[in-house]
Amino acid sequence: MESKIRITPFEDGLVIKIFGELDSSKTMLYKERIHKEMRSNGPRFLLFDLKDCSFLDSAGIGMILGRFNEVEKLKGGCGFINLSPYVKKVIRISGLFSVMKEYDSLMDFRKDMGVKL
Amino acid sequence: MNKMELKFSATLENEALARIAISSFIAPLNPSLEDISEIKTMVSEAVSNAIIHGYGFDMSRDVILRCELEKRTLTIIVIDYGKGIENLEEAKRPHYSSRPDLERAGMGLTIMETLADDFEIRSVYGMGSKVIIKKNIALKGEYVS
Repeated sequence: MESKIRITPFEDGLVIKIFGELDSSKTMLYKERIHKEMRSNGPRFLLFDLKDCSFLDSAGIGMILGRFNEVEKLKGGCGFINLSPYVKKVIRISGLFSVMKEYDSLMDFRKDMGVKL
Repeated sequence: MNKMELKFSATLENEALARIAISSFIAPLNPSLEDISEIKTMVSEAVSNAIIHGYGFDMSRDVILRCELEKRTLTIIVIDYGKGIENLEEAKRPHYSSRPDLERAGMGLTIMETLADDFEIRSVYGMGSKVIIKKNIALKGEYVS
């Protein structure tokens, strides 16, 4: 199944949009892609857009949690937008909602994180 | 009862194959997208455990995926003849992982256990592991999130 990642920077963060199936054959690659962006821009806030993510398991959860742990050290944070009922259920089971919230929009996320405009 | 069995090399690339096979197998039931997704997630978790923990990425070994369908009840059995689980209680604990380096959250068993209607794992240390998942496939429009 096709899968891709699109990373769009904003002030002090990145919007990371995942398309298709986020499985273990993709997580290492996506982790590197995100790291590359993190090295060049040093973002502290990551917003994961999972609108077009059709598959999620613990490999994807681990990839997201790993990035959360990294930006947390920089006093940053992570969030989600556009969660389908299925994706939301997998995230809820994994316990990720205890450290990351779902937002209505990028603006909503920036406001909550206190990102300077 | 309808059934199928698939045997494939223990490599993560084959996770997608396992997911596609089971999606096709249940397609005649006209399941909801959510049920299909949840079933794919459970299969991926079981298969990746077999590959990573059972066989330690040894591609010369085989993973077996067996599926049975009785009316709308799907039974998924994933078998490996790898190293088995030494301490099942420890493995089942949320966030526990024997391979934290792989960044997989240690949530595979919890995710399977929660999504399944019935979940069982049998393992003999040194002999292998068998995961048995039962899932009732809802009629469309009956998804409970």
